[in-house]
Amino acid sequence: MRRRAPVVSLIAVLLLVITACATDDSGGSTTEAPGTTGPSTTGAPGTTEAPSTTAGGPSGEPIVVGGTLALTGGLGPTGVIHQIAGQLFVDRLNASTGLLGQPVEWNLVDDASDGARIAELYEQLISQDQVDLIIGPYATPNILAAMPVAERHGYVLPQHTSVLAPAMTYACQFPGWSIGPEPNVFIPNQLADALDSLGGSVSTVGLVTNEGGSTSFVSYGPADNDEVQATDTILPERGYEIVADISYPIGNTEWGSVATELQDADPDIVVINGLGLEANGLIEAMDQLGFDPPMVFALFPAPGAVLSLGDLTDGVLSVSIFEPNESILAEMDPEAREITEEFSARVEEAGLPYTAFETQAAASWNTWEILTQGVEGAGSLDQQAICDYLHENGADLTFSGHVDFDPEVNNFWPTTQVLKQVQGGDWVVVWPEDSAASPLQGPAG
Amino acid sequence: MSELQAAIFGALGGSLFGLMALGLSMGWGFLKNINLAHFAMILLGGYLTVDLATNLGMSPVATIVITAPLMFLIGALVQAGFERFDVSEFNSLLISYGLLIITVQVVTNIWTADYQRMAPEVNPLAAESVRIGPFVFPAPTLLAAGFAVGLVVLAQFVLEKTYAGRALQAFGQDRQIASAFGIDHRMLGVLLAGASGASAAIAGMLIAVGEPLIPFSPFDWIGRVFAIVILGGIGNVQGTLYAGLLVGAVSGVVALAWGPSASPLVVFSLVVLALVFRPQGLFPRKAGH
Repeated sequence: MRRRAPVVSLIAVLLLVITACATDDSGGSTTEAPGTTGPSTTGAPGTTEAPSTTAGGPSGEPIVVGGTLALTGGLGPTGVIHQIAGQLFVDRLNASTGLLGQPVEWNLVDDASDGARIAELYEQLISQDQVDLIIGPYATPNILAAMPVAERHGYVLPQHTSVLAPAMTYACQFPGWSIGPEPNVFIPNQLADALDSLGGSVSTVGLVTNEGGSTSFVSYGPADNDEVQATDTILPERGYEIVADISYPIGNTEWGSVATELQDADPDIVVINGLGLEANGLIEAMDQLGFDPPMVFALFPAPGAVLSLGDLTDGVLSVSIFEPNESILAEMDPEAREITEEFSARVEEAGLPYTAFETQAAASWNTWEILTQGVEGAGSLDQQAICDYLHENGADLTFSGHVDFDPEVNNFWPTTQVLKQVQGGDWVVVWPEDSAASPLQGPAG
Repeated sequence: MSELQAAIFGALGGSLFGLMALGLSMGWGFLKNINLAHFAMILLGGYLTVDLATNLGMSPVATIVITAPLMFLIGALVQAGFERFDVSEFNSLLISYGLLIITVQVVTNIWTADYQRMAPEVNPLAAESVRIGPFVFPAPTLLAAGFAVGLVVLAQFVLEKTYAGRALQAFGQDRQIASAFGIDHRMLGVLLAGASGASAAIAGMLIAVGEPLIPFSPFDWIGRVFAIVILGGIGNVQGTLYAGLLVGAVSGVVALAWGPSASPLVVFSLVVLALVFRPQGLFPRKAGH
């Protein structure tokens, strides 16, 4: 035991060296290691150098927008989409008139998908870095963690993706993606509407749910209130029998038993209220069993990952607020096409596997538009004035139209969410019919 | 029928956990080291498999030609360090936990914290399965079961039929007496730890073939692997495999019957019961071998 001290010292030195040497080697991003504030993201994946100020362009001290994104970690593949969309927005803004005539600098921090550090990082951005504005992190748990910090400091918090409306109670948080005030009611009803159109070919449902917050909320409603409706009660009321109801823990990777139970129940549609790569895992496990359900719905999958399974995922349904389908772009302002094409070019340059400007990028774009329109409308960086302006005037969003923010429903605007389906190796909007780029394909394909 | 299929899925997956537990159990049983760095080597083995297969075009299985000797070396060095500083059983747990944390950070710095998964064209095994009658055997876990059985048989043979193996057993039972009979326990310990490291590399490869990796994966493995080591009997080579199969099969059936969330509840209830009623494990190592 006399030799314990040298061993402990050695370990301590090693820990210090590792900590000191820790650098982010995530492919060229200039954001610093998790938990550190870094410079603006010029040079980050898919970005260009900040445009030089030209006559009529922005001038003066930059307005600094602070925020974190999950650029690495479990949420990283989607977080990077928000980084590229946001940087594209900032670059275009700086190339035109800037914000209040001043250039914008984005102080982006990689939170490494670590929800436990979000509050600390936002506190640092506001208190120490003294950023002028903030924008939310990616993914609901992280946004929920950032919200109290923003509220405590009175900062407006535009946020990309938290659709958990009842939990987003801060009056000055503004969602860039809305499934209305009751996503737990809207989502199953929209799905039932679409299934109704298939003439009775779908009648039984296998419900598979990640026990995490937003997905569980959509399946079962709030844990403390059985009166609130959700997928598990709405689908039966609409005539769809739930023949399997399976919950799995966050981080589950063992899909064999879930697939076996689904095979036994043999539903017409498997509804996967899950996240990220989970739908892939379950679809592959069902395929290994030889069980090919007539239809599959995946709530929040990684869009590119679903397509990577090829024919296996043909016909899979999901939700979307925007897909760059030709027939949809043709009816929009030409700027929308320009944005989607430039975004895709940057994503390709960054080497990401899926380049389409879809829901996540559109939510990001919406969020930046909400923030900048609030500032321009208020004519200052006064947080309360920005918040008041948005409540009174709403925002005009390139990809979601005009939206109004009602604090009574936590600012969640009437949703523009649609259903999309994998058809011919790509996502296509299929529901509602008046928004569809292609008809919904039923079990018969 | 479904219960049997779920048990097959679970048992095959459990055999991989049994393989992960093998090196840990032997180190604990024979060397009196609770070496959490074993999980670090599994993690490194997995990431190196993804890297070598993706960037050098190697078959994922063939990557063990590189990773196994490398992890042998690392395992041996860690053991040499334990010997050099005369580290006690409890301190080995603390120190190796530190090594695990360092490795997780190094892996994060090198490969980022993103999911790492081999593309289907690099790893066609991931989507394949073997069908025997009505039952399905997914290729990744079937491969894992094959490796687990092979390594357990090999380890058992070495322990029972070779001088080094018998010396190791003697050392595991009584260090001082074994040393008095001229057994070079330092060299034996280094060799055993190296072999455990090599088995960790194989386990890492098998995990990478079957599922995505993140740097924090070891923290998902630790609980189940320790359960298998304890149920199998510390230092019992065959016991780890049996316990892995048992824990996996029980998990699979429980997940089918009551949902995946119930599996850990049942598995760790089993561990608690085993510790109370059979602290030597369900398959204790026989004395006198």
